[in-house]
Amino acid sequence: MSTLLSVSNLSKTYKVRGDWFKSKEIAALEPISFELDAYQTLAIVGEMGSGKSTLAKLLVGAELPTTGKIKLNGQLLAPGNFKQRCQYVRMIFQDSSTTLNPSLTIGQLLDEPLKLNTNLDDLARNKLIQTTLLKVGLLSEHMNFYPHMFSGGQKQRISLARAIILSPQVVILDEALAALDPSLRSQMINLLLDLQQQMGLAFVLISHNLGIVRHFSDDVMVLCNGRVVEYGKTSKVLKQPTHTYTKKLIMNQQLQVTTR
Amino acid sequence: MNLLDIRNLSIELIGKNESTLAVDRVSLAMKEGEVRGLVGESGSGKSLLAQAIIGVLDDKWRVSADRFHWRGKELLHLPIEERKAIITQDVAMIFQEPISCLDPTTTIGEQLEEAIDSSQLTGNFWQRRKQRKEAAVTLLHKVGIKQHELCNKSYPHQLTEAFCQRVMIAIALARRPMLLIADEPTASMESTNQGQIFRLLASLNQLKNMSILLISHDLENITHWTNTITVMYSGQFVEAGTTEQIFNKPFHPYTQALLDSSLNANSNVPAKSRLMALPGSIPILQHLPIGCRLGPRCPRAQQACVAAPKVKNYHGHQVSCHYSLRDSYK
Repeated sequence: MSTLLSVSNLSKTYKVRGDWFKSKEIAALEPISFELDAYQTLAIVGEMGSGKSTLAKLLVGAELPTTGKIKLNGQLLAPGNFKQRCQYVRMIFQDSSTTLNPSLTIGQLLDEPLKLNTNLDDLARNKLIQTTLLKVGLLSEHMNFYPHMFSGGQKQRISLARAIILSPQVVILDEALAALDPSLRSQMINLLLDLQQQMGLAFVLISHNLGIVRHFSDDVMVLCNGRVVEYGKTSKVLKQPTHTYTKKLIMNQQLQVTTR
Repeated sequence: MNLLDIRNLSIELIGKNESTLAVDRVSLAMKEGEVRGLVGESGSGKSLLAQAIIGVLDDKWRVSADRFHWRGKELLHLPIEERKAIITQDVAMIFQEPISCLDPTTTIGEQLEEAIDSSQLTGNFWQRRKQRKEAAVTLLHKVGIKQHELCNKSYPHQLTEAFCQRVMIAIALARRPMLLIADEPTASMESTNQGQIFRLLASLNQLKNMSILLISHDLENITHWTNTITVMYSGQFVEAGTTEQIFNKPFHPYTQALLDSSLNANSNVPAKSRLMALPGSIPILQHLPIGCRLGPRCPRAQQACVAAPKVKNYHGHQVSCHYSLRDSYK
């Protein structure tokens, strides 16, 4: 099986004003390469400022990479070509209540990506929206509801519906599970795993909760100051971390759970 | 003697036609030097409870309780000035998102000095300014900030979140409170910073014998730091007991579900397997189920659950459920 997503030498440097006329360069992300198959999940772990959000932005195309290439199914994703990228790479954000337009109904919200990316007629679009809502565990009547009528967990499901409505191949979850309450988080994880099995999605999970990472991902990449310090199978990395930074991260979280 | 003893506290939101019971007969008792966790998901009324304790709820809310004792004094019957005097002296609170709670237009040093009570200063009026400055620096040292000069001069946005939370704790400590209410002190913080803040709170608890009410939405985050835990769901009391009791033998199906959904605690669950999860979502305040509010989501619910269960006490392990899991452990 060929790899779905392959990233080679991807990096990002920002230019900031330095002394006088010189501009300073800050490397947000040093060159990284990785590959991701369908049905697989890559977790990206790291602290604030480690470049994990930058990587997500580069993958969806919200930022232009300084160097490097992103290939999807062997096809190069050209920077700036959103028509091609929107279809296959989708993203879910942490705070679902601020990512949904409060003045549109759920039907209109989900209609937007379809109008922009497909040539379906009204009836077909309507049908697709209904089936997608059912897929994420909502009802087709919810089409006429506004975002404020939903609870936090349901809003996250709507964001998920918006992500999968174009049948993408890669979904990026940027801390998508962090803001949810524990009982809803388990529901969401179950739903994501089911969808992965049904649709063959590849997930890029950005999280700082190692429990979720352990459960959810196949591979894990540990970032520290824009550099990859560890990359490998999740079970192996979390059991036998080699880098001190990874050890520190794991220590910090284990401490919280053990009872006195 | 209990520091804080609350029995059957109800908080109502007064509406035009009818009022909504946001917190329904919750009991909470705290001893001196105890760290108690208060756990509940969003909308469980845990923040309301904290606000009721420090008495900042406005006229829209009606607070009533069978007993609301602070060190043996009934607070609800006291006139508001006396109550305020007691609470400001003995109770302090820190909030989540410290950056938004600090004044962005004044420096940290000024904010700290403002919080220091004049009665703590002993000198004559010309010495007070210096004493106040020194007191502010000592406070910063207490919360583990060594670069006090730099910190005093900076504005909240110039500091990281963990630093701001430390400053918040320093401000809270200025009155030398007996009880510190920490309302999600580490929400939206990185795990390394979370550890720092919790360690600081734990050391304050041990060195100063300060009681801490630690409010959190996630059971797994706080179990290491607490002696006792109270669990709430949708404004109702669920379960209370020592951390070991709650963690090892939860009696309530909801607590069980919370523990099952905690991934850090169950690291032996095979990867990518389905997790145990309660169906449905948290009820909103306008449409609360009658009786036990967990009813529609509970796996053990039966007909009796339409009536709210009474709190049962088994050796200090209190549970509010008709069909508790207690029998399944025998």
